[in-house]
Amino acid sequence: MTHTEPSAGVQAAIDGLAARFGSRLSRAEAVRAQHGAVESWLPQALPDAVLFLQSTEEVAEAVALCHRHGAPVIPFGAGSSIEGQVLAPRGGISFDLSGMDKVLAVNAEDMDCNVQCGVIHQNLNEHLRATGLFFPVDLGAHATLGGMASTRASGTTTVRYGSMRELVLGLTVVMPDGQVIRTGGRARKSAAGYDLTHLFVGAEGTLGIITEVTLRLFGRPEASRSILCAFEDLPSATTCVVAALQSGLGLNRIELADTLQMQAINAHGGVALPERPTLWVELTGSAPAVAHDAALFVELAQGSGALHVEAADNHEAANRLWRLRHNALYATRALRPGIKGISTDVCVPISRLPDCIAEIRAEIDKTDLIAPLIGHAGDGNFHLVLMFDPDDAQETAVARQINARLIAIALAMGGTATGEHGVGLGKMGYMQAEHGAALDVMRQIKRALDPSGIMNPGKIFTL
Amino acid sequence: MTAHDALSALLGDRFTTAQAHRAAHAQSETHVTGGLPDAVAYPETTAEVADLMRICAAHRLPVIGWGAGTSLEGHALALHGGVTVDFTRMDRVLDIRAEDMLVRVQPGITREALNRDLRATGLFFPVDPGANASLGGMAATRASGTTAVRYGTMRDAVLGLEVVLADGTVIRTGSAAPKSAAGYDLTALFVGSEGTLGLITELTLRLHGQPEAVSAAVCGFATMAQTVDCVIETIQSGLPMARIEFLDPAAVAACNAYSGQTLAETPLLLVEFHGTPASVAEQAARFGEIAQSHGSTGFRWAEQPEDRSALWKMRHAAYPACLAARPGATAIVTDVCVPISQLAQAVEETRADIAASGIPGPILGHVGDGNFHAILLIDPHSPEDRATAKALAARMATRALRLGGTVTGEHGIGIGKLGYMAQEHGAAWPVMGALKTALDPLNLLNPGKLVPPHDA
Ligand SMILES: Cc1cc2nc3c(=O)[nH]c(=O)nc-3n(C[C@H](O)[C@H](O)[C@H](O)COP(=O)(O)OP(=O)(O)OC[C@H]3O[C@@H](n4cnc5c(N)ncnc54)[C@H](O)[C@@H]3O)c2cc1C
Ligand SMILES: Cc1cc2nc3c(=O)[nH]c(=O)nc-3n(C[C@H](O)[C@H](O)[C@H](O)COP(=O)(O)OP(=O)(O)OC[C@H]3O[C@@H](n4cnc5c(N)ncnc54)[C@H](O)[C@@H]3O)c2cc1C
Repeated sequence: MTHTEPSAGVQAAIDGLAARFGSRLSRAEAVRAQHGAVESWLPQALPDAVLFLQSTEEVAEAVALCHRHGAPVIPFGAGSSIEGQVLAPRGGISFDLSGMDKVLAVNAEDMDCNVQCGVIHQNLNEHLRATGLFFPVDLGAHATLGGMASTRASGTTTVRYGSMRELVLGLTVVMPDGQVIRTGGRARKSAAGYDLTHLFVGAEGTLGIITEVTLRLFGRPEASRSILCAFEDLPSATTCVVAALQSGLGLNRIELADTLQMQAINAHGGVALPERPTLWVELTGSAPAVAHDAALFVELAQGSGALHVEAADNHEAANRLWRLRHNALYATRALRPGIKGISTDVCVPISRLPDCIAEIRAEIDKTDLIAPLIGHAGDGNFHLVLMFDPDDAQETAVARQINARLIAIALAMGGTATGEHGVGLGKMGYMQAEHGAALDVMRQIKRALDPSGIMNPGKIFTL
Repeated sequence: MTAHDALSALLGDRFTTAQAHRAAHAQSETHVTGGLPDAVAYPETTAEVADLMRICAAHRLPVIGWGAGTSLEGHALALHGGVTVDFTRMDRVLDIRAEDMLVRVQPGITREALNRDLRATGLFFPVDPGANASLGGMAATRASGTTAVRYGTMRDAVLGLEVVLADGTVIRTGSAAPKSAAGYDLTALFVGSEGTLGLITELTLRLHGQPEAVSAAVCGFATMAQTVDCVIETIQSGLPMARIEFLDPAAVAACNAYSGQTLAETPLLLVEFHGTPASVAEQAARFGEIAQSHGSTGFRWAEQPEDRSALWKMRHAAYPACLAARPGATAIVTDVCVPISQLAQAVEETRADIAASGIPGPILGHVGDGNFHAILLIDPHSPEDRATAKALAARMATRALRLGGTVTGEHGIGIGKLGYMAQEHGAAWPVMGALKTALDPLNLLNPGKLVPPHDA
């Protein structure tokens, strides 16, 4: 691994941090690599050092020190982001927040909780088990709530409960000069001034470090029903999605896979589902409501031309169905062992979903790329995993072209380049096309709140 | 060219300095008064708004957005003169996309007009403040209403905006996609910014399917604590309440007198359910059980559409009803919002405080959100009344903050609540100031509102 020496400012920050935090500041190559060569198709870029922090006060002190020396600070949760958000192309210090993993308060009556930023979402739900409450964003990776807030993450239940945007009530944030602020609060709504909470949600660590997150929680639904249905073609499947959304059913999840993805799932999971565009659906609510909605959904599906409908009769069967969905990525990887890929992430208005998929499929079919599709159909968001060998320049170029083409298609349809993964380095090049003059407003905000430009520099946009 | 000439050339007689127009835009619904604009403009297009903004920027003239003028804290008053931009002529529905459950509108359309236009589509727009406000004004104040408990506030309802910035640049925020992780959430920044960061010239709004079936009910309780416990259990049980509204005995009395109802003068809940006929029946039954287990009395269903609309008409007329309870009075309307577990305490302490003050102050609220209003009725000519009411309002605000809440759940800051911003936000308030300076360096957009004063 190539290694450039830290800049003078960074070196000064490292010295200061080492004096203060001792062995919690690491310059070991392996530790740096863990923080700068993460899950991503982008080239690695290691930070100069990694600092492991435990509290808001420590973060504030460390940020203030880096601020004095103009040293870049890259917040790091679990490092599961996939657009190079935690890479350190300009060096600097990675602030590893995974040790800030305490659930600080659960208010069952108010159905909210306050957690440190490093709490992993699965662990939060473990912690909540006895309360009958849960936190709904269920993304596939082990991710921290601070990281999830910072990428405005979502999951399979976003169609019902919303994404991190809807679920964060308030934050504690260490600003780029080390000052600590509190945004939002525990009231369910507020009209008191600018919505700072939502400025930090999705900011990918470029405006400050989130150290605490106040989240909405929900009661576990009394009953649920899972249904899998296969359709002749994609438009039939998406027609069914639109009908289900409009009919006000208690949809908890509605996920879509294409034929190639289903082939991969069959091969990997040793099952024999129809190799056709497929929807996984989960309905939740009270027992009578679920029974009613399930019957109605099956009617809608059949009305949209479903060829095969399979309702899970019990919990076990439902889990089996959903396990296949959750393992889709591994099934995809097994299509071409050893090869990873770019996961695309466009999101479009639902009515455009069939056209968007058809248009890009036509382009992919002109290439040799393997690219199965899986997605959160209820949100108009889908992923194509574009599988390519990074050592093959030709393949890499084709994959990148398809990614760019897909984003152009989505933007032309009024959609976005990224529904949930965020921008990082990987999607930075598309932001001008997506936002136009509004991108300058983001730059103005960045300059106003981080005038010395130390917070995760060079992400989302260049200044 | 003077600003006056340039604006006249741009807008013709839709730019006016006539006293009547200026005075009509120097009024607010409540106790907050003062602030006369130098002129009023009635643009019809985004391009006109952008040109107007450029002219005003060149001449350093303040620009104040005006929707329907129903805001309650003097938000739209021209504290430093300048041009009030009245959006009533930009009131069109631009595009209804039924499949995507979206609508694109101009900012001047009112919520009632929008829902009229949507009627045939089977869709509706749920945010329903008590006044027939404009969608631009509602976005600018982050308004909510009786259905926020189910459908959310303007924060949830606005998917994207077109905004004219302080230098006349036109930007678009958000997209038509249901979610996005592409950069800073500028939409959320402009929603609730009260016209201090830009002028909203277009909104993309999320719609919802008109429920197939609706039912409503009223029931009374002996105590506030029972009422709130009933609300908490209802929400925790996951019942998808469409509305759950509270009136205290004084508010019930005022509504009875004003709307010719005969409801028992106890703490009262008004609830509504949306869904299929079967699900509504089931929800209603479950709510009935919960209410009963908390000692509800006088449970009454409003099954017929006429009964239901009478009930909600009464609720929506609660503000004039309260005003009528003290003839000649004007109101200081409070708007605190607390975590629901603190609601009973917040209301009871407020109740006692009001009783001791000698000023009438019926209380009503969107209890599902923890949000309630005391309508403090004062004699506009009595400085003592005003002082007493202001002190009450200040104690309510402090109480809400102590209980983990906010000084305003939905009405916003305007002029009336500026004094609480430092207390509520601490070090975060100057961060708002930094954003304002970055986006509006000349301090032209609705100056004197929301952010720390320049000389502070
Ligand atoms: C197998 C797999 C499946 C995935 N599935 C989904 C999915 O379904 N939905 C989805 O949305 N994403 C998904 N992702 C992407 C990823 O998990 C999310 O982006 C997640 O939100 C990142 O969280 P993290 O804790 O790993 O953050 P990191 O990767 O550590 O950081 C992400 C960004 O946030 C910043 N950051 C982290 N913590 C803080 C903080 N406390 N304060 C300020 N900034 C901070 C970082 O600087 C960086 O810019 C998936 C990833 C993988 C590998
Ligand atoms: C009887 C009554 C009941 C009410 N009930 C409720 C309620 O239940 N819930 C609730 O939330 N509110 C309620 N309100 C308050 C009021 O209706 C809301 O604040 C409403 O959102 C204001 O909308 P408006 O169109 O009247 O805006 P205005 O009063 O005209 O303006 C409000 C603010 O928005 C700015 N603004 C207006 N248009 C634009 C634009 N296009 N671009 C940028 N800035 C703009 C103005 O500059 C001002 O700062 C009530 C008011 C009354 C009188």
